[in-house]
Amino acid sequence: MKKAVSVVMALTLMALGTVSFSRVAHAEEVKMIGVIQKIDLAAGGKSATATLKDNKSSKNVVISITDDLTLDKFKDHRIVEGDEIRCKFETEGGKNHSKLFRKTAGC
Amino acid sequence: MKTTATLAVISLSMLTAIAVSAAEHPGKEYIEKNGYKGPETCETCHPDTARKFLDTVHWKHASKVTNVDNLDPKEEYGMKNRIYTMCNGNDIVNNLKEIPKNAEGKTKFTGCNTCHPGNHLSDVGSTGKKAEQAIDCLVCHSGSYDFRQRKPSKDEQGRIVMGQDRSTKAALSITKPTVKNCMVCHESAGGGVLVKRGFAFTADTDVHAAKGMTCVDCHKTRDHKIPTGFDPNNWANDGVHLSCVGCHTEKPHKDEAYNRHTARIACQTCHIPRTGGAVAKDFTKWEKGSDGFYEPTTLKKEANETVPVYAWYNKTVSNTPHFIGPKGSRKDKSSKIYPFKIFIGKAFYNQKDGKLMSMDFAPPMATGDTLAGVASAAKTLGIKDYKPVPGWQTIYFGSNHLITKSKALNCVNCHGVNGVLNFKALGYSDKEISKLTNPEIYFNFMIKKQQEDW
Ligand code: HEC
Ligand code: HEC
Ligand code: HEC
Ligand code: HEC
Ligand code: HEC
Ligand code: HEC
Ligand code: HEC
Ligand code: HEC
Repeated sequence: MKKAVSVVMALTLMALGTVSFSRVAHAEEVKMIGVIQKIDLAAGGKSATATLKDNKSSKNVVISITDDLTLDKFKDHRIVEGDEIRCKFETEGGKNHSKLFRKTAGC
Repeated sequence: MKTTATLAVISLSMLTAIAVSAAEHPGKEYIEKNGYKGPETCETCHPDTARKFLDTVHWKHASKVTNVDNLDPKEEYGMKNRIYTMCNGNDIVNNLKEIPKNAEGKTKFTGCNTCHPGNHLSDVGSTGKKAEQAIDCLVCHSGSYDFRQRKPSKDEQGRIVMGQDRSTKAALSITKPTVKNCMVCHESAGGGVLVKRGFAFTADTDVHAAKGMTCVDCHKTRDHKIPTGFDPNNWANDGVHLSCVGCHTEKPHKDEAYNRHTARIACQTCHIPRTGGAVAKDFTKWEKGSDGFYEPTTLKKEANETVPVYAWYNKTVSNTPHFIGPKGSRKDKSSKIYPFKIFIGKAFYNQKDGKLMSMDFAPPMATGDTLAGVASAAKTLGIKDYKPVPGWQTIYFGSNHLITKSKALNCVNCHGVNGVLNFKALGYSDKEISKLTNPEIYFNFMIKKQQEDW
């Protein structure tokens, strides 16, 4: 049984490996913390861009957001300009696609 | 067959619920004409709602607690006054305030009682007419709340007020609470998004969310008493409880092989194979953020990143300065095996009496000086005789959401070699274990499944 389990494990790892390799080929996941300078909701509300000022480099980075939960937070202003954001994104086709977009605010 | 019947009824009522919420709130016309003036507007048609609301956990952040060790049965406990190490304070010592200026001369508002549907002038547990009219009904009931309004500010008299959206526009879209309404506070419990439990409730993370169910489809509420479970770390309750078998049965499976397990194994154990959120924090050392403010050092995990720990639980809780967690054992027939996330937090203990101390976050947030936070909290609580020494506290968090069917634990996950359960620690003898880990007990079942699947 141990063998069966490890075969499954190996397969899973391989599967994961392929996914992340193919990702690396196209896009690299970048982690960043920055303050929102500007939010632009697209007409129809299906996508948005947010300009974050990267805390490390002080450069502005434009992030594209398409997940409904974050878009909803833009619409009802749970996330607004001036909020600090912990963000993960992948660059593809000249755009930075958001994979995670959360307020840092803690305790 | 009872299961199918019950679930069919629930599914049906969900459909009608969707139909009803699509229909307009019958009070809309009245509110359009008269505007929204707060709870009194609602009470023209829903009399006495506000007064009753003041008697709930959501307003009081406390209740009597009967299943936890070392508590006074006459006192009420909750976020109002508890002290633990997921958030090392409470509403009292961390009352909403403006913190001292940091090195960059910046200040901000902080306090635990921001997650309260009052306006801070009428605060956690307040009573009377003024408190009734201060309730933010719309934070839970509006589909178009503008959250820019819901933030602290100072009024002319220098008092800190928690803002609310009381616009007529927001009051024109009354619904029963959606997932979003509840998540305004629940998503960020414990110090940030998904920090406490990794509590994401989306189609990807929960079968019920995938079926379009909302929080209140399960947490069915009357008179604003919201039912809860028996998480060893969420003590305050409205005296009403819910469980999986309130809707499903003890024998919900087509396969008798699974049904046979429900007497000693909780549904959550098989159906919630992962948990999430922070696994450790250090309140004795805070990290400086780029904005010049400090935060407690926190080791975070995503919603489904942590493998749970399994333990017997009979719904009573051990509570000592260094441990908060489940009681129970294999011998005790009211115990079942449940999944937990273990969180370990470091904070200051009073060497004089061994008790965990609490911290006012305002001083460390501005300067990183955690002992100043302990001193301020001690002053608020009237503790004079103390010597703070760092120590760790282990806390078990229950795992009751993130339910999956496709990834539920199967026979091999538990009975296979190196399975997820530590049978020895759970009280099984070596002889029993060699039986429980022998393919004999699951081989035929799994082969049949394999044949069905392929
Ligand atoms: C003019 C009368 C009137 C006013 C004012 C009014 N309501 Fe209602 N409301 C009703 C009626 C009638 C119903 C349907 C019967 C019931 O559930 O009591 C209803 C239903 C509801 C429901 C249940 C909705 C559902 O889909 O299950 C909620 C929640 C609610 N009202 C909240 C409020 C809130 C909050 C206010 C104040 C902003 C308010 N109501 C003001 C008349 C009113
Ligand atoms: C304004 C913030 C806020 C909102 C909105 C909110 N909660 Fe809570 N909730 C809390 C806090 C804070 C506690 C913990 C209080 C304590 O334990 O002292 C809590 C506790 C609970 C509990 C356990 C205690 C109990 O009452 O049984 C349940 C269950 C719960 N909430 C469900 C919900 C649901 C469902 C919704 C949406 C209808 C919701 N909450 C909306 C802040 C909120
Ligand atoms: C973003 C909203 C929010 C903030 C801010 C918040 N809490 Fe809570 N807290 C909750 C919710 C929601 C619960 C109950 C649900 C749960 O445990 O998942 C809770 C539960 C608790 C409990 C357990 C209460 C019980 O009934 O046993 C304690 C203790 C607690 N919080 C402490 C704190 C402290 C200390 C702070 C401030 C430093 C704080 N919380 C700030 C939302 C919040
Ligand atoms: C913490 C969130 C919360 C707040 C704040 C809140 N409600 Fe509710 N309310 C609920 C929940 C949950 C239900 C039950 C919804 C369901 O199961 O259909 C409910 C139901 C109702 C109903 C339907 C009838 C009933 O009692 O079940 C009315 C009317 C209502 N609320 C009015 C109000 C009014 C008025 C206020 C402000 C004084 C208010 N609510 C504040 C969560 C909240
Ligand atoms: C499928 C039904 C279901 C749905 C949907 C659901 N819950 Fe629960 N919830 C439960 C059950 C069952 C428990 C308690 C189980 C136990 O302790 O035995 C629970 C427990 C809780 C608790 C107590 C702390 C804990 O995590 O155990 C809180 C707070 C809570 N739920 C809030 C919510 C909120 C907010 C939502 C929506 C985002 C939600 N629930 C959606 C079934 C549900
Ligand atoms: C309020 C009632 C309610 C509660 C409480 C509840 N469920 Fe469910 N559950 C449902 C409904 C309704 C469905 C969807 C049934 C359907 O559409 O086939 C469902 C679906 C499921 C499924 C997927 C079934 C399938 O065939 O896809 C699982 C697994 C499940 N629930 C487990 C649990 C567990 C575990 C708990 C406790 C933590 C729980 N449920 C609490 C009502 C509930
Ligand atoms: C020993 C592990 C285990 C326990 C305990 C368990 N389940 Fe399951 N359950 C499973 C597995 C595995 C499946 C998926 C079966 C499949 O896909 O063939 C499942 C499927 C289901 C289904 C879908 C119906 C079916 O037969 O596929 C529901 C509903 C369900 N479980 C609810 C519950 C509830 C409610 C409890 C607690 C009373 C519970 N389960 C306890 C392992 C378990
Ligand atoms: C969550 C882990 C878990 C899963 C999944 C699970 N089991 Fe078990 N099983 C246990 C535990 C724990 C016991 C001992 C229960 C007790 O003390 O009564 C047990 C007991 C048994 C027994 C009785 C052994 C004896 O004492 O004679 C059999 C047979 C069995 N399981 C078969 C299965 C089969 C077949 C499956 C898949 C359909 C399965 N189990 C899935 C944990 C699991």
